[in-house]
Amino acid sequence: MGVTVAPPPRTARAPGRRSWVLGVLLATLGVAVFFSPILGTVAVPPETVLRILLHQVSGGTLFSDPCAGGSVPASGCAGLIEIVWDARLSEIMLAVVVGAGLGISGGTLQGVFRNPLADPFLLGISSGGTLGAAVVVVFRIGVSEQNLVLPLFAFVGAIGTGAVILVAARSRFGSVETLLLTGVALSSFLSAVLALLLLYSPAGSLQVDFWLLGNLGSLDWTQDGIAFGVVLVAGTLLATYGRELNLLQLGPDVAQSLGVDSRKVRVRLLLLASVTTAAAVAFTGIIGFVGLVSPHVVRRIAGSDYRIVLPGAALVGGGFLLAARDLSLVAFPGTLLPIGIFTSFAGAPFFAYLLFRRRGASTMGVP
Amino acid sequence: MTEAPESALQLRGVTVRFGERTALQDVDLEVPRGQFVALTGPNGSGKTTLLRAALGFLIPQAGSVQVFGSDVRRLSIAERARRVAWVAQEENPRENALLLDYVLYGRYAHLGWLQGESARDRDGALRALRAVGLEERAGDGILSVSGGEKQRAILARALVQEAPLVLLDEPTSHLDIAHQLDFLTRVRELSRERGVTVVSALHDLNLAARFSDRIVVLSRGRRVADGAPADVLSEELLARVWGVVADLRRDPRTGAPYLLPHHLVPPSTAGPATFLGKGPVHVVGGGGSGAPYLRALAEAGYRVTAGALHLLDSDLETAESLGALTAVEVPFAPIGDEVRERLRTFLEAATAIVVAPFPVGPSNLPNLEEVRRRLGQVPILLVRRAPGVEWDFTGGEASALEEELRHGGARSVDGTDEMLAALAAGPVAPPAQ
Repeated sequence: MGVTVAPPPRTARAPGRRSWVLGVLLATLGVAVFFSPILGTVAVPPETVLRILLHQVSGGTLFSDPCAGGSVPASGCAGLIEIVWDARLSEIMLAVVVGAGLGISGGTLQGVFRNPLADPFLLGISSGGTLGAAVVVVFRIGVSEQNLVLPLFAFVGAIGTGAVILVAARSRFGSVETLLLTGVALSSFLSAVLALLLLYSPAGSLQVDFWLLGNLGSLDWTQDGIAFGVVLVAGTLLATYGRELNLLQLGPDVAQSLGVDSRKVRVRLLLLASVTTAAAVAFTGIIGFVGLVSPHVVRRIAGSDYRIVLPGAALVGGGFLLAARDLSLVAFPGTLLPIGIFTSFAGAPFFAYLLFRRRGASTMGVP
Repeated sequence: MTEAPESALQLRGVTVRFGERTALQDVDLEVPRGQFVALTGPNGSGKTTLLRAALGFLIPQAGSVQVFGSDVRRLSIAERARRVAWVAQEENPRENALLLDYVLYGRYAHLGWLQGESARDRDGALRALRAVGLEERAGDGILSVSGGEKQRAILARALVQEAPLVLLDEPTSHLDIAHQLDFLTRVRELSRERGVTVVSALHDLNLAARFSDRIVVLSRGRRVADGAPADVLSEELLARVWGVVADLRRDPRTGAPYLLPHHLVPPSTAGPATFLGKGPVHVVGGGGSGAPYLRALAEAGYRVTAGALHLLDSDLETAESLGALTAVEVPFAPIGDEVRERLRTFLEAATAIVVAPFPVGPSNLPNLEEVRRRLGQVPILLVRRAPGVEWDFTGGEASALEEELRHGGARSVDGTDEMLAALAAGPVAPPAQ
């Protein structure tokens, strides 16, 4: 360094790069993950929960009898460990992974389409992925290998939807409005197909609400692992495109003049976002608005640099979905409601807010 | 590729079609290093298409585009970005990036995969912001600065891109006059200081003439004129390419030519032979009597000459504002020989002479004497004088001359419409004597 140039003044209007925000978000999420197992459908004393967690995390060296002092159910301490570790924590991890996937997909889609309202749910990519997954369940395809076949079909559904949107975006009517309307139409259509399929499935009526409203229940670590692996790989790849997304905000031509292969990058990003979305929705069904809200939250606190927005949206998305799960348990103790209800509850007003505010300024995030 | 090519940009026989429409037709253009070229032409003449072809954004149906000796289509997108920078007419960024970051975007093509900008890049960006007078605003959001500041930030970005060729597409069309001058002054300075080659589409011919080393004119996809501003800009070019009648002047301070547009070439007269307008018609007047006739003639597409007039005469002002050539004498002095000689050349060049109802005294009587010399050789229109207005201050000499003109075949007209009608009726046959 050793240069006499003074650092540029920062103003409130345009927050600078704030990488430290990522650290804060990550730490907050970690703490939330650790304490969330306290909440659940069955009452377990918080101290017991924390002891079990530490016992499991330390590989059994800490708290050799984690249930000591509390009321132990008939299934014994092993039963409690199963509830806390296998059921709750896997559910929590899935919430985080799914939220992260949806968040980073939403951030990417907003950048690719240069539109603050883009989101995997609103554009129908979530519906496409869910439809793909539901086909596997309804027609009992590869029952023994369902944990692998399910995401595969979800990918096909999500990427197919993404391709339709890409074509719509590229047509000469490819305005922002066309894009959103195409997405909304696709989304409704695919949801309708999905509902019909579930109601009249050869396997008998399935839980429609599970798929249409999103659900974190009845999961295992394998599903967690698959979702986690795909979201991690695709999400990491997405996060490496922060700079290109920054440049794409100037318009594809300007980005190209600066050295970005706009067309190739946009196709790649849409593909990766579709894969990430598919992994997120394959086991949980449609969860709305996480992808829409999360990137905007990051923009507010950390500025609009996509190198921060993308990982930040993943962290906020994970936290958002986890918070939805926890709030659901606080508000309705004893039952885990479909998680999509809570995200839509928070997300829909936010969407309306963005929609109305957008008339004033065409800025995407920070006003 | 090995030897340093002399030309920054070279187009050979470039033809671009969009469906049925031909946007560029067999265009050759060679831009040497360091030159500031203004690319101009009417709307739809192919300026933007040429720039986009130079950027490799579109593939010509025929011909080749080379930047610094390499075919632009064979360069990778990043390689191209290191050689050619682009400043669009207007950018509409969708995210509120810091100005500093906005400028740093220009470093993209120089950075490796996932490589962040170094402190050196940042210093370079700050220097570039200083060069465009924006260092104070480095920490502001791009969406909060004015249009002029945004264009300057984009120019700074082009600087850190370190491309030796900068293409600008109407960079000033959304700016007010002060920002236009400011922006182009900076572009020219930067081009001279850094030896950067600049090719800029510019609507405004006067700005083009003022700032560029060379003007290239496109019309319907063809290069129709090319050269130094003083050589290229002409009334003839404006009439031919833009269909506009204008006067060419010279800026007394910079010496740059500038055009003063008047009106469109009238459709009835549009054509290669008549594009310069009809005439010239000479108007003899004074004391404001000639002004309506001068204006009406100019409006109808006639070129006009006027005189002899005295300095400070309001007719002189009108004539000059219309771009007319004039014969001028100092106030109150009798028309001297030199001025009389000039008047004579105007009268001899004129296709018609209009005598406005001007007051005649001994000092400007030579006007009528000179008009009399043309009697029988060119149509003369005498504007009828209002009755009861005293105008002859020569003791009857002027009245006698007018009488002589009338009898010799000069036609009396009443008002500007009748004058135009008489002129349009064609060359009134010189009266048979």
